[in-house]
Amino acid sequence: MSQNIKILPGATVCEDCTLEGDITIGGGTVIHPRVTIIAEGGPIIISEYCIIEEYATIIHKKAETQETPPKPLFIGAHNVFEVACKLESFFGHIGESNVFECRSFVGSDVKIGSGCVIGAACQLTVPQTLADNTVIWGSEHHNREALEKQPTQLLQLDFLSKVMPNYHRLRKPNIHKRLPSRPSQDTAK
Amino acid sequence: MAYLTQPDYVKYICSCGQLKPITNLYFCRHCLKIRCGFCICHEVDSHYCANCLENMPSSEARLKKNRCSSCFACPSCFHTLSTRATLARDPAGGDGKPPKKMYYLSCFNCRWTSRDVGIPDQPVASGGWPERTNPFTTRFNQLLDYYKAIAQQEKQEKLDKERKKFVTRGKYINLTDKTGLTGAMARNIAGLPSSESSSSVISNFVPSQASPDVEELPDDYHLKEIDLKQITRISQRTSCPELQPSLASRLSPRPRALCVKRSQRCRACDHNLTKPEYNPGSVKFKIELLAYYHVPEVKIISYETIKPGGTSALLLKLSNPTAHEMTVKMLQPEDVPDQEDEHKTIEKTLEKSLNLEKDISWNASFPRRPPPPNAGSVNLPAVSLTLAQRDDAAEYDDEPPGDNDDIILWRKSNKLALRLKLTTDAQAKVGSNAYFSFALQYSYRNTVPPSATVVQHSDHTLYTTLILDLGKVCE
Amino acid sequence: MELQDTYYNKSEYVETASGNKVSRQTVLCGSQNIVLHGKVIVQSDAIIRGDLANVKTGRFCIISKGSVIRPPFKKFSKGVAFFPLQMGDHVFIGENTVVNAAVVGSYVYIGKNVVIGRRCVLKDCCMIEDNSVLPAETIVPSFARYSGNPAKLITTLPEATPDLMTEFTKSYYQHFLPTTVS
Repeated sequence: MSQNIKILPGATVCEDCTLEGDITIGGGTVIHPRVTIIAEGGPIIISEYCIIEEYATIIHKKAETQETPPKPLFIGAHNVFEVACKLESFFGHIGESNVFECRSFVGSDVKIGSGCVIGAACQLTVPQTLADNTVIWGSEHHNREALEKQPTQLLQLDFLSKVMPNYHRLRKPNIHKRLPSRPSQDTAK
Repeated sequence: MAYLTQPDYVKYICSCGQLKPITNLYFCRHCLKIRCGFCICHEVDSHYCANCLENMPSSEARLKKNRCSSCFACPSCFHTLSTRATLARDPAGGDGKPPKKMYYLSCFNCRWTSRDVGIPDQPVASGGWPERTNPFTTRFNQLLDYYKAIAQQEKQEKLDKERKKFVTRGKYINLTDKTGLTGAMARNIAGLPSSESSSSVISNFVPSQASPDVEELPDDYHLKEIDLKQITRISQRTSCPELQPSLASRLSPRPRALCVKRSQRCRACDHNLTKPEYNPGSVKFKIELLAYYHVPEVKIISYETIKPGGTSALLLKLSNPTAHEMTVKMLQPEDVPDQEDEHKTIEKTLEKSLNLEKDISWNASFPRRPPPPNAGSVNLPAVSLTLAQRDDAAEYDDEPPGDNDDIILWRKSNKLALRLKLTTDAQAKVGSNAYFSFALQYSYRNTVPPSATVVQHSDHTLYTTLILDLGKVCE
Repeated sequence: MELQDTYYNKSEYVETASGNKVSRQTVLCGSQNIVLHGKVIVQSDAIIRGDLANVKTGRFCIISKGSVIRPPFKKFSKGVAFFPLQMGDHVFIGENTVVNAAVVGSYVYIGKNVVIGRRCVLKDCCMIEDNSVLPAETIVPSFARYSGNPAKLITTLPEATPDLMTEFTKSYYQHFLPTTVS
């Protein structure tokens, strides 16, 4: 597999991670140690201001009918992947400001809008589309629609990007094209 | 804790006949009997909220319907709601005033917020949350008053009757004497107006009327598409029985139910078995008479598979939890001498402590001493074993493993490992549960003087029967 | 039943003077902020995030394989703060469990594959069963046994829980032995 990892300036990526394939990590994103991102079926593009916590796994799976060139897996800005969550996908587009809680699993063929919360230990395996602001929780996978989008984690990102370099070996940004754009959501709350 | 994560391999037979692991048993030092949660009296000591750990006097708890006044449960997923603060921008503002802090309730599990249903944000963190009033409050109060009045009246009648009994012991047994029918009920059945003593509450009471007219369902009832996110689930409706909201927009936070600290009491002698400390955060007890601290504990170390007609080895660990030396002897369960029947005393005290009308049917339906199920027998050594007292400092000593012989595998402070042989019945069915039972005779030193005059403690010989669960009978 | 011996590879574990046994295959971030109070076992692939805030455990704690101990954060109007995570004595944390709690009391048993949400408070003597999820900011009272997703109180624990838990963690420690090397 070709190794092509692009880290934009402002991203904090720990060295103790497994990154394989064609991966782009946007500015302001924080990747904690022991994260696994494998782009075997095509490139993975992670936008700005995402948090990917320990033992999180993001896999761009190889589809049976592989297109050429392979379509990328695009992950929008402000997504939070909590500890030990797993996202498997053939390709597609994941919106903004979603929260994948601890130990959740999102299988391939699940389309996710924006502002969704996949509750802790929830397993989404059936092909489905989550509308914006859907909240899924509990062993029975109850779902409801949240009133507003999930608040941004900009303050946490600020803290992490300040503190993490003191304790971790980081991968250096290797792309210097432009500064990350302004945060797309205002910092209210 | 192995007890909490593993199935119960060793069960003791409680004095009431129940089979329980030693951790769920109590030991009454006054009756010198093993008791379990089934045969003791549970009492509510204090009410507290498990969320804010605030104690609430029982009178107040009753008034607030056993719910906390400051903590709320999410009406959507029943998780506890958290108070969150936001800075409210004054809509009329612009006059340079600092933004005011406003609070709203939010659930971290399902992301429900009090804003979802249009509850306005509050200026104080601790509440003032609007309560939805029960539309049937007046009817409820009427019913309550009515039943209270009836209870009062019946009590009075009963007293009167008892007084009469002493005065005129009639020749004939009255129907009401025999059936427990009260005068008021008899009059009611006969359609007579209630007795002259009835209060105005009873006479003014209007019973509810069933009506044959039922509102028609709308025409599109079966055709209309349902948005599952708009309507509530059954559990959400039943969590709030007085309102039963059918629309998600009508959900409102529920005050959280309180927890209780309870103490337990022996029914035979009315002594406390456990009494917790008042502070809700404390895990200590003022009184803690648990079998785990008074009865020799038996644990299985390992065993060979059980085969019909065969013999298998069994390693057991015995430990002495008390602060006195203990002599233990193993017996066959049928060799336990009969102890005096305490059936009667329980009957009496039950009535006394629980105010139960002579309903002790449950007591009779459980045989006092069930025959222990057996897949075979344990070959028991005929020797008495001495177990040293518990010594918390012993674990720091490196003592040589004590005397070994055919039976005793090793000995460590208050613990002792035994090597035993099991004989399985030749008729034992393959695949049935391999239960083995034996009894322990143990010496017990009671440090509680029976009365103030007797100072020295007394030694007793006690018995307990255990059942070992050794999996299934194999081929 | 008595606990069975658990064996570990002697070269994999580091034993400190106070009796802590820590696997070399763990991620202890900001180790200067982590205090293990003695006779604590940290098994392989466990992560303790001392870089975010202080993490303190009591004596006789067992942190099993693949578990993540992570101080929780809270948002304030002027930024976020990560809270220190405190753990009492005789705490067992099962495999692949995520602990985001603020306080874990003493004599607490947390099963495997459990998620303890942010800023949860687990009082002394409580038990969270395997595969449960405790949503953020849950307070688990003493002697409660929680299970499910979201976890709910299912029953209470026996009064002797402190002694049972003490015995369990102590015997776990005693039965956690290096493979006999020749």
